[in-house]
Amino acid sequence: MDLVNPYVLYAGLVVGAVGLAMVLPRPGTSPRLLGGIIAVAGLGLLLLALGVARTEAAPRVMFYVFSAIGLGAAVRVISHPRPVYAALYFILTILATSGLFLILSAEFMAFALIIVYAGAILITYLFVIMLATESPTAEEAEALAEYDRHSREPVMAVVLGLLLVATLTTAVLHGSARLGLPRAAGEPVVGGRLAQMPRKVESELRERGLLGADQTLAVNRDGGLVPAAGGGGVEVVTRGASPEAPRAAVALPADLTLTNTEGVAFAFLAEHPGSVEIAGVVLLMAMVGAVVLARKKVELEEAGAGGPGARGEA
Amino acid sequence: MTLLLAQADFPHAMHQLTLGHYLVVSALMFGIGLVGFVTRRNLIVMFLCTELMFQGAGIALVALSRYWLNHTGEAFVIFVLTVAAAEAALALALVVLLFRRRETLDASRWAELKG
Repeated sequence: MDLVNPYVLYAGLVVGAVGLAMVLPRPGTSPRLLGGIIAVAGLGLLLLALGVARTEAAPRVMFYVFSAIGLGAAVRVISHPRPVYAALYFILTILATSGLFLILSAEFMAFALIIVYAGAILITYLFVIMLATESPTAEEAEALAEYDRHSREPVMAVVLGLLLVATLTTAVLHGSARLGLPRAAGEPVVGGRLAQMPRKVESELRERGLLGADQTLAVNRDGGLVPAAGGGGVEVVTRGASPEAPRAAVALPADLTLTNTEGVAFAFLAEHPGSVEIAGVVLLMAMVGAVVLARKKVELEEAGAGGPGARGEA
Repeated sequence: MTLLLAQADFPHAMHQLTLGHYLVVSALMFGIGLVGFVTRRNLIVMFLCTELMFQGAGIALVALSRYWLNHTGEAFVIFVLTVAAAEAALALALVVLLFRRRETLDASRWAELKG
């Protein structure tokens, strides 16, 4: 069955869409404040429909807080007439999304998102926004460009977006409700990966006092740990013991699991090694392309005073 | 109100976050980005809206990765970041180029680019 009553969902979407159409920049006096209130009401109705009525555990409250911040900032990104503020609101969206990633126990992606997006991409955006604005005269420094004040066909676009989101959410809720609930407790268990990290396992075992001072973990030819014959542990080499004697075994503690970063590293580097190269090539091509595109033609003639190349030197 | 909002035979929905919660947020983020891309006329803000759509896709990927308890989806988000960075570099270079030629960021001034 559905996660929420579909009619509540559609009502929330319609109210939110009406508000969104009102906050978009348009000629004349636009009812922005009223539109904002309506949009917030619609989004709030949606989040309510997703079950904010009863709050017991902290992660649930944080989910709704982060979702509300992220979606509200996203609305401001597309409705703020000044591009600089739109970019700043986008940074707020990034931060809220990182919060959602943290709730999903994806720490690595959360911080990578902040570093790459908020740290690098958005700074590029801000620089380009500052470079590519018409230099205003003194009296119209506060005036906005005409294309920032008026948006293009807001009603049609909002209706289109409403239809898309309604279709998407209906399909998603039907499908995901059929999938059932996830395994909620505990970290993701990635089978077999721990055996490829003998140093981590050894230092963890030493920290917990499970491994004696004269003991090391047995390592096979590939550098992985050797599972004990009885199962449920790994073999241990004791210094000074004869090589023929049966090796001792130590059981791994249940809470010794891969961290999120290690899991992403295995998924990224061990399972898809070629993709790293492809990503590197894509980035290199983008960098070369950007340099070629944005390069300014250098005027070789020094005497070109008054020419187009000399503009802005004063 | 509780009975109105949640179906009676899916009681866990009110107590626990499910995959659907994240997917709805991701769909909303994508939709907001789409509306912005269609309506705004400033070229830079249009590209910001594509980044919003990337965010929506990223939330869905990470939520599904958490749901299936493996890390492939999260590794895929790294590619979304890569593509976003490449797109930002190229698109912003193009924007600077277009701005230098006509001193405006209005997308409708460049209507002849549609071919």
